[in-house]
Amino acid sequence: MSYINIDHVTFRFAPKEPAVIDELSLQMEQGDIMGILGASGSGKSTLLRLIAGLEMPESGSISIDECLMVDERVFMEPERRGVGMVFQDYALFPNMTVAANIAFGLHKLKKHLRLERLEQMLELVQMEAYERRYPHELSGGQQQRVALARALAPQPSVLLMDEPFSNLDADLKADIRTDLKQILAKAGMTCLLVSHDEADIDTVCSRILRLPKDSRKEVLTEDT
Amino acid sequence: MRIALLLRNLKRHVNGWTVTSMTGAAVILLPILYLLLSLFLPPNDNWSTVKQFLLTDYVLGSARLVVMTTFFAVCIGVAFAWLVVGYTFPLRNVFKWALALPLAMPPYIAAYTYSMMTGYTGIIQATLRNRFGIVLPPGIIEVMSERGAVFVLTLFLFPYVFMITRAFLERQSASYIENARLLGHRPLSVFIRVVLPLARPAIMAGGMLVVFEVLSDYGVANYFGVQTISTAIFQTWFGMYDMASAMRLAAWLMIGVISLFILEHWLRRNRRYSDTTSQTHPLKPKALKGAAAWVACMSCGLLLLLAFLAPFIQLIAWSVQYGAKIWRSDFAELALNTLQGAGIATALILLVALLSSRAVRMIDSPFMQALARLISAGYSVPGAIIAIGVLAVFTVLDGWLSPLYGSLGLGEGSLVLSLSLAMLLTGYVIRYMATGYSALESGYEKIPRAYSEASRTLGRSSLVTFIRVELPLLKGSLLSGFVLTFVEIIKELPLTLLLRPFNYDTLSTRAYQYATDERVFEAALPSLLLVLIGLVTVLFILNPERRSI
Repeated sequence: MSYINIDHVTFRFAPKEPAVIDELSLQMEQGDIMGILGASGSGKSTLLRLIAGLEMPESGSISIDECLMVDERVFMEPERRGVGMVFQDYALFPNMTVAANIAFGLHKLKKHLRLERLEQMLELVQMEAYERRYPHELSGGQQQRVALARALAPQPSVLLMDEPFSNLDADLKADIRTDLKQILAKAGMTCLLVSHDEADIDTVCSRILRLPKDSRKEVLTEDT
Repeated sequence: MRIALLLRNLKRHVNGWTVTSMTGAAVILLPILYLLLSLFLPPNDNWSTVKQFLLTDYVLGSARLVVMTTFFAVCIGVAFAWLVVGYTFPLRNVFKWALALPLAMPPYIAAYTYSMMTGYTGIIQATLRNRFGIVLPPGIIEVMSERGAVFVLTLFLFPYVFMITRAFLERQSASYIENARLLGHRPLSVFIRVVLPLARPAIMAGGMLVVFEVLSDYGVANYFGVQTISTAIFQTWFGMYDMASAMRLAAWLMIGVISLFILEHWLRRNRRYSDTTSQTHPLKPKALKGAAAWVACMSCGLLLLLAFLAPFIQLIAWSVQYGAKIWRSDFAELALNTLQGAGIATALILLVALLSSRAVRMIDSPFMQALARLISAGYSVPGAIIAIGVLAVFTVLDGWLSPLYGSLGLGEGSLVLSLSLAMLLTGYVIRYMATGYSALESGYEKIPRAYSEASRTLGRSSLVTFIRVELPLLKGSLLSGFVLTFVEIIKELPLTLLLRPFNYDTLSTRAYQYATDERVFEAALPSLLLVLIGLVTVLFILNPERRSI
């Protein structure tokens, strides 16, 4: 069985509105890095939110590592899914330092293990010198690295990234894309990355899923 | 399958947050619904007397007071808002915020201060007589009448219209007004043909606040002997000891309030109240020169003098002059009662508001939005209506709990809840929930949802997310919610008069008691304290504005 199994998932924002995601099925193996491309309103971010447990599908099921996350009867809360997410605007807690942000998801570890993991993460994203800074004291690229470190720190089974490069300028974007590919490979992570920029996906991902604008009329296509 | 889906969704959404919100909404709505139900019960004998001889006078009294006060408050509020937004003149920046200060003075305090100041021995007539030898004909400037009630209510409520209209004109009107000026319209024509139609939604919003405040008023109307439905509720309750008729009157007043709500929504139907563009810029005021500038400055100064400075200075003078005589041994107890009652009620309000605003945030559905509106509905319901509703519900509760009281040795049939402070606190919570709720709702609007979602995906539960992520970011909103609610409760009069336990006085009830006993000098010190506390709210609201001026 596949590592991530999405089976005939349908989602709409309100009962009488058309489905944003209609009967979508998708399988991913462990270590896959899949890019999701599609126009605005095609449901790219919604798909990530459904996997993370931030939205509830109307029908269909989602399993990760043979564990049922959601179907018509079951709904597992986001905190129990073991899924990490990097948000479009990074969502770094403004009242916490870089170190506190990264350590936020490490509450289940003992203190010395927590500090050890924090150091590893700071090293991974090369932010050791900034651990006492607050998010507003960082550049866009630095914030993106911290958000990535925070999501990776609890060693999630799946990493979801929602337009992680959209707030970066072109030069920085190119550097960060290459860095990200290396970091993900080093972490051996199963990852879904949403972007509207094909170059982002080409650089970082091994598989591409194209979501049609109108999911009822077109068929989704997958490139490898 | 549908049932399974429904159960899944229900299981996710029914939690401590939603249950608390629904309980809060039920507590707030129960007294009001209970009152409305009283309309379906057969009326008693008293009611036919009230209906035959008094009801028409009460309704007409309320209607006259509402119509006249709202008319004058809107005229003054809009004219002065346009003056400070559209023109520059000496001290304009001071008047821009200072004309909001009358909101710090509860109108009932202004009522007895003015009645004393304008009386035969008051400062105005005495100065004219002693210094200038002018003796005014009796009654010419005295305010103890319906005319006086309109005068006081207008002066101390016009800032609602002034503030909302001023903010609207500053933000939204620039390009339209500049265009009208470029097209050759004279100032009066710009005001009538552009400013008034543009500002209609703001004027209406401010006007509605005045309407609700006048309907809620008890202190001014009662002091000046004007018959209104609010004063009638008090008379039927305390004068006739007729709870059923008081409930019926309150229910009719409630129907009036609901009708006003519906009327306001109907008037606003299909109207665009927003700009056609998001690119707005502040209006560049026109400079007034020479006599015009000084007339503008003097008009604002005179309004500020009448609506704040004169009664405020008079209260200070009385407090200084008679301070030693009026300082009483129970003053500390009075202050403690006031702070304690307001403190407990504010804490309860913020707790329910915090839990409810979070529930609405978590489940962004039409049902939860409606719940949020219901929770805030108490603010537009006059205090007397809430008081009667709460008393009625507490009396029923006492009836139900009677066997329990018996078994506890309190005596069956005794009134425990309805003679306790809990009843007054419940009244405060219902009336002022909106103040706390709106502060926290706007606080939540400033926190991106992604913060909470990030916390959940990092393995933190909903509760931990609330405590570790949301609560620290809500500190400012909690503080402003606390200050605004606390001060409003301290100033509250009709609800406190109706629901307080025996021998329980607050600064506002004691000040009012002294004033109605013709001991206005003794009322000065507690009144001054209340005005100073009121100033905290007004300055708190104005603070960001003043910094930007």
